[in-house]
Amino acid sequence: MSGKEFFLHRYEKLGWVYKEVKLEQAIRINTINAQQVCVIERLRQRGVKLEKTTYLPQGYWVRSKFSVGATAEYLLGLYSIQETAAQIPATLFSELSGRKVLDACAAPGGKTVQLADLMMNDGVIVALDVRKQRLTALTNQLERCRVRNTVVYGLDARRVSQLDRKFDCILLDMPCSGNFAADKAWFRRRTMADVERNAKLQREVLAEATRVLSEEGEIVYSTCSLEPEENELNIDWAVRNLKLEVEKVACYGQEALTKVFGKRLDSFVSGARRIWPEKTQGFFVCKLRRREHA
Amino acid sequence: MRLFDANLTLDNSLVAENGNRYYLLNEGMKGFIKEGFLCAGTYLGETRGGRFMPSFMFLTMIAQTARNKTYVDEKTAWLFICGRDIFRRGITKMTGATGRNNCTLVMNKFGECLGFGRVVADLNQKAETMVVTNIVDIGDFLRRERQKPWSYVAREDHASGLTKRLRK
Repeated sequence: MSGKEFFLHRYEKLGWVYKEVKLEQAIRINTINAQQVCVIERLRQRGVKLEKTTYLPQGYWVRSKFSVGATAEYLLGLYSIQETAAQIPATLFSELSGRKVLDACAAPGGKTVQLADLMMNDGVIVALDVRKQRLTALTNQLERCRVRNTVVYGLDARRVSQLDRKFDCILLDMPCSGNFAADKAWFRRRTMADVERNAKLQREVLAEATRVLSEEGEIVYSTCSLEPEENELNIDWAVRNLKLEVEKVACYGQEALTKVFGKRLDSFVSGARRIWPEKTQGFFVCKLRRREHA
Repeated sequence: MRLFDANLTLDNSLVAENGNRYYLLNEGMKGFIKEGFLCAGTYLGETRGGRFMPSFMFLTMIAQTARNKTYVDEKTAWLFICGRDIFRRGITKMTGATGRNNCTLVMNKFGECLGFGRVVADLNQKAETMVVTNIVDIGDFLRRERQKPWSYVAREDHASGLTKRLRK
């Protein structure tokens, strides 16, 4: 069960017709290190063309003849290169200032830096990942962007309760199957076995995250997968098994599916957002909290 | 800090040590430091061979009070980030101790710290004279992705080797 035709047929069944997507590079201004207008002006003087994203406060699409990952401004941590859809999850928490935040699958650290930026380097972020190379990328990114409120552990998110701490906000930017818009070889490489393996891992992480969530805490779940097994079906499972409820979010994208391949899901799942590839890559975001009186 | 003639007071109770690396925490982070953490808070630097090698975050912190600073023009700033030394013609201003062998923070026209170097000649030289050798610069973030981190010690040795050659 793989191949382009197989997956495109699935997407059609979910109500989306395939189209070629050419992603534009995007950046996010790190407001803890610089004023937005100053960075924009400095980049414009270098000949970088910038277009403000309509749905993100610090996001810009960039067009440049040289790599925007090799400018003095980038090395000084004044901005990060971050795909626009990937900038959405961190903005969904109600309140981050001074909070205890868990970034459970943090590397390479784009969202961790964004969280620190939204927290104005106050409070605490605990950032986890497992692979050594990715952890190196994460620590480098934190140092480049002058993040001051983050503790990094080389720890599997499925064992986070070992830390014996509760968190007010938990970002679960899950390891996932990805999508064709961000990976040209995606259709050749991916099979349903990958999707199912990832979906299982995501459920395990979600279950563990629930154990370390404070009573009034919030979880933001995100993937860059288009497969409902890693998105709506997992959220439906969480609502039924983890005493969580979906809090409706109104970010870019469309309502998540509540009917998947003939299966009817909990109606609250529609409060999540599904982003089909167009100007951004494919993405899925959902905000969860403990069900009242659970 | 003496190297740059800077003043900075740190609360020792907020400094965490991990091997030879040092981190400055905020109050709230203390309860989250457990055995096995990789990094935490503000990375201050590390000791190697008995010497403290400051991080870029630490350099940025002391830049506010440091007196030993070399301001460079835009082209020189980029060359410095690329690992090059600084020639007289690229320097717009030098403050603090400008004599040979002093360490100096290298600043761009916006007053942002790009790294530091060692003074190898005074300012009363010809435009093509090397005045500051590069010890460490923020281009390191790109180089780290491509290869093993540059050894500060090796670069210091490289810099002092250059100085010796210049003296000859």
